[in-house]
Amino acid sequence: MEQLINDLKLQIKEALHLEELSLEDFDENTPLFGEDGIGLDSIDILEIVVLMEKEYGIRMSKPKEGKAIFQSIKTIAEYVQENRKK
Amino acid sequence: MGIAVTGLGIICAIGNDAASVLGSLKAKQTGIGPMRYLQSNHKELPVGEVKLSNEEMKQMLGVDANAVISRTVLMGAIAIRQALDNSNLTNSKFKEGKRVVVISGTTVGGMDITEQYFMQIKEDNALLPILEKHDCGSSTREMADLAGLNDAEVCTVSTACSSAVNAIILGAEMLQNNEADIVIAGGTEALSRFHLNGFNSLMVLDKECCRPFDKDRAGLNLGEGAAFIVLQKRPESEGIFIRGYANRCDAFHQTASSENGEGAYLAMSKTLQMAGLRPQDIQYINAHGTGTPNNDSSESAAIRRVFGRDIPPVSSTKGFTGHTTSASGSIETVICILALQNRFVPANLGWREQDEACITPTQGIDNISLENILCNSFGFGGNDSALVISKEQGAGSEEQEDKSINFLVQRAEATILSPSGELDGGTLRKYISSGEARRMTRLMKAATITSLKALQEAGVESPDAIITATAYGMLETSEKFLIDMLENGEETLSPTLFMQSTHNTLSSAIAIRTKCHGYNMTYTQGKDSLDWALRDARRLIASGKAKTVLVGSHDEATPTFQEFFRRMGKPVPPMLYSKSIVLTAVKR
Repeated sequence: MEQLINDLKLQIKEALHLEELSLEDFDENTPLFGEDGIGLDSIDILEIVVLMEKEYGIRMSKPKEGKAIFQSIKTIAEYVQENRKK
Repeated sequence: MGIAVTGLGIICAIGNDAASVLGSLKAKQTGIGPMRYLQSNHKELPVGEVKLSNEEMKQMLGVDANAVISRTVLMGAIAIRQALDNSNLTNSKFKEGKRVVVISGTTVGGMDITEQYFMQIKEDNALLPILEKHDCGSSTREMADLAGLNDAEVCTVSTACSSAVNAIILGAEMLQNNEADIVIAGGTEALSRFHLNGFNSLMVLDKECCRPFDKDRAGLNLGEGAAFIVLQKRPESEGIFIRGYANRCDAFHQTASSENGEGAYLAMSKTLQMAGLRPQDIQYINAHGTGTPNNDSSESAAIRRVFGRDIPPVSSTKGFTGHTTSASGSIETVICILALQNRFVPANLGWREQDEACITPTQGIDNISLENILCNSFGFGGNDSALVISKEQGAGSEEQEDKSINFLVQRAEATILSPSGELDGGTLRKYISSGEARRMTRLMKAATITSLKALQEAGVESPDAIITATAYGMLETSEKFLIDMLENGEETLSPTLFMQSTHNTLSSAIAIRTKCHGYNMTYTQGKDSLDWALRDARRLIASGKAKTVLVGSHDEATPTFQEFFRRMGKPVPPMLYSKSIVLTAVKR
């Protein structure tokens, strides 16, 4: 799980061009959306959807179902753990 | 004198001319169905295709079957020819001594052909000329020529899905300002794998027929087509007139609409104001109504803000045609004219269940007297425009236009000519935060920096209007998206790249940054783009519609793009060019 969380951190940082974010201020429980979090938006959700398919073979067809899954790196990791095809 | 519509032409999923479009509208017959002509893997997505092959269209136009011509151009030329025939102006007679201008709205331009040949062009010099017809401006020139208007001046505007309405607005303004005698304005857009996959990456395409304003709506269906109208200044009090119009900006997000529909609200309110009409004078609203959850609730909020409890019949006709993107504004304008002439309100196909957040659309009305119709057209980047189409020309604008006392002064100018240190490090941070910068391409950064520098120097926080000139638009992102699609297939493509591929990306990004809800326009007519932008700025200031205008000329190249020019033996364009000018009105 720890390995997966680390992988996801790096993959999300790269996909969303969060280069300036240091890995420390970006822990697995940091909210990805909203003002007290990283402040991502709907387009970022779509980029994470693409990432999930490319890296883990998970196809999500409705962006709505993503909202709950994409709360934090941890919630994403749990979802990937359960649903990954690769 | 009013701006009269003296001819119209249309080709779309529900018919290849006005008579057949009218027939389908009255019979409530959709044109959306399985993909037949577009060569995409996404067969699961229904589309609103024009029911003609490129070869059939070439035959209709009498051009060589082997000629490589974009579908965008073919459909546009057919619609322009129809509009000219319909206007009773024979080519030879009407052109004599008259200033004829063709104004088209498109974003895809020649992309349908480029995506087909791109990989071969990389290898084969004989195919290089195809690329010269890729950009929007070239496609408009070719289309005007095919329609027999070789002598006409041409102009292309590209504000994504509101392009065609902005083309009509520009035409009306040019006539009002005595810069033209006859304007043929509208828009054209062919389906391409590029934008089908782009919209798919944004997850806004419905796998069923779209259901605008319905509770369970799940997105849009893409369509294609072209429509053009002939505009002339006429003294008659009755006919078909473009009575009011406005172009405003939501200045909220690159692809999403604000919850309260600010841009749409402003566009509709200003349009009514210019037409000298009250909300209760409108008998029908042709909504933008794409069928996406976001557009329809935002547009409904805006309609409620303008019309209160007494909302006239509203329908989106995208359930018939699909969303014809850049052409939708003129296709729907023609549909409104047909409704006005034939006394009916088109149905909102697909609607089943009320959504609290949405207006209740009409299922169609026959035998209704229509005087004034409001037609909405919105685009990416919050480029929101509206028109009022009326039987009477009206008394004209209520706004007092103070034409004599304004003249133009250039206040400030800023330029970035190459990717220098200004795009990272100190200068960048001075103008753009790291959060903002993370998604910006080089051209976006350069355009933002030169704009903010010029505004700062001019002492202007937020301009009244933003106008961008760009010959090729967002090349870097478009090329990345295209190559990814061609090399890796039509899956897992980046929504960010597509979102930033439209020409109006720059104008709208600057509007968001400067919180400018005013006029927002993008010209893409090759090397003449900046000239068109400056003419527009001058018109806005002279007519008192704006006091401060930010005009930008922004273009970029990529290594691949430069290589094409080298192979053609042509001057190689610079990697980056960004110049911003602030123009202000000064009282004499």
